Amino acid sequence: MGNMGLALAWEARIPTLAQRERRLEPYRGQVAAPDRGAETQTEDAALAAACLSGDLRAYERLYSLHGARMKNLARNILGSATDAEDAVQETFLKVQRSIASFRGQSSFATWTFRILVNTCYDARRSRLRKKEVAAEEEQPHGDLAPRPEPRAAVGHPSLRLALERALAKLTRHQRDVFLLYEVEGFRHAEISEMLEITETASKNTLFQAKKNLRQMLEPPRASDAAGAR
Amino acid sequence: MMNVMCKDRDRLFEDGSAVEWAALEEHAATCATCTEEIRAWKALSVAAAELRDYTDNPALWPRIHQALAEQAATAGGWRVGWRWRSLFATLSVSWQTAAATAFVVLLMVSGIWILRRPVTPPPQQGSLLKSRALVDVEHAESAYVQAIDKLAVDVKPHLENPATPLMANYREKLMVLDSAIDDLRAQTGQNPSNAHLRYQLLAMYQEKQRTLEEILEEKR
Repeated sequence: MGNMGLALAWEARIPTLAQRERRLEPYRGQVAAPDRGAETQTEDAALAAACLSGDLRAYERLYSLHGARMKNLARNILGSATDAEDAVQETFLKVQRSIASFRGQSSFATWTFRILVNTCYDARRSRLRKKEVAAEEEQPHGDLAPRPEPRAAVGHPSLRLALERALAKLTRHQRDVFLLYEVEGFRHAEISEMLEITETASKNTLFQAKKNLRQMLEPPRASDAAGAR
Repeated sequence: MMNVMCKDRDRLFEDGSAVEWAALEEHAATCATCTEEIRAWKALSVAAAELRDYTDNPALWPRIHQALAEQAATAGGWRVGWRWRSLFATLSVSWQTAAATAFVVLLMVSGIWILRRPVTPPPQQGSLLKSRALVDVEHAESAYVQAIDKLAVDVKPHLENPATPLMANYREKLMVLDSAIDDLRAQTGQNPSNAHLRYQLLAMYQEKQRTLEEILEEKR
């Protein structure tokens, strides 16, 4: 493969191996995983128990711990901040309704994110059904992928836009794994619980997702262009 | 240091350990292709940071809180059921299995009872005889039947060896009527309060009476 082109200003920020080992993962460690500390595990269980008892303060704690990341994930799946907020709210309501069925086989946070991902895809399907006719008129090629809304100005808008468009073309699983691992900083063990796949499948899906993204984001090489002439 | 080559690159991208990555980086120092591939691969992880936007909407939690409170309030009606379900969830798997089995057995027994109980036709409006009326009807019916039987005894000699085709037809008709009367009597025996059946039986007896009278008229 050729240059990861895009005239990427961020090329200068490519991390060294040392940087790679401490990836930018703002929430790493907050979500329980098999190797999580006993303290985190206890807090997770206590939070689940408090939610089960109907204590709304426990839901507030859940929101303060994971709300921002839930909303970000939902926005990346749905492409809209408004829809993302609706999805987060619906997720909390679903958690409240079905907390009695939580068995503690995964962490409470992982379980909550699994509900969020499913809620996002339910919302997406529902929105597509409602807007199908209109969307087909607006998008003659039948591309019904969510159209990302403008966000707060951070980093490189053109890069973000290109990435969002490329992500929309991935399969659902590839998109989910990429967002959960690379954007939200979950571990493969956690992702496997959320998406109900194996860890190996999670790793393989991430590999395929990144391969596809590279192909989509890479500009035509000079040699290819010459060959085309 | 372990030996890593270009062909190992994709495998390490997918599931390489830190040691393997270090070996790949060392190999890349002398391999332009691998240098470029590693750079591009890592660039995607860096680019992913562009998709992080954790700006808070202060109105969101109050909205969720209100929705949770409303749902909790509306759930009050079925909170008892919820507690039962919570209780069920806290039971061990063996107890849950036992409870589920008991429930299935209860369902099966109920199903068998419903299937095997005597089938009674749906009662019709005004057609259910009360007990005293039933006794009166049965007395009247019994007297009526005895009277018809006496008539049948008088007619019997004419039908045993029918001299004409008409008599033969009468005999056939009486046999059919007797068969129908037997069926209806059996049904009224199972459901004696059903007035509709009684009326049908009465109609059959009346028809038999008319037929017997016609035979006697014919012979005169």
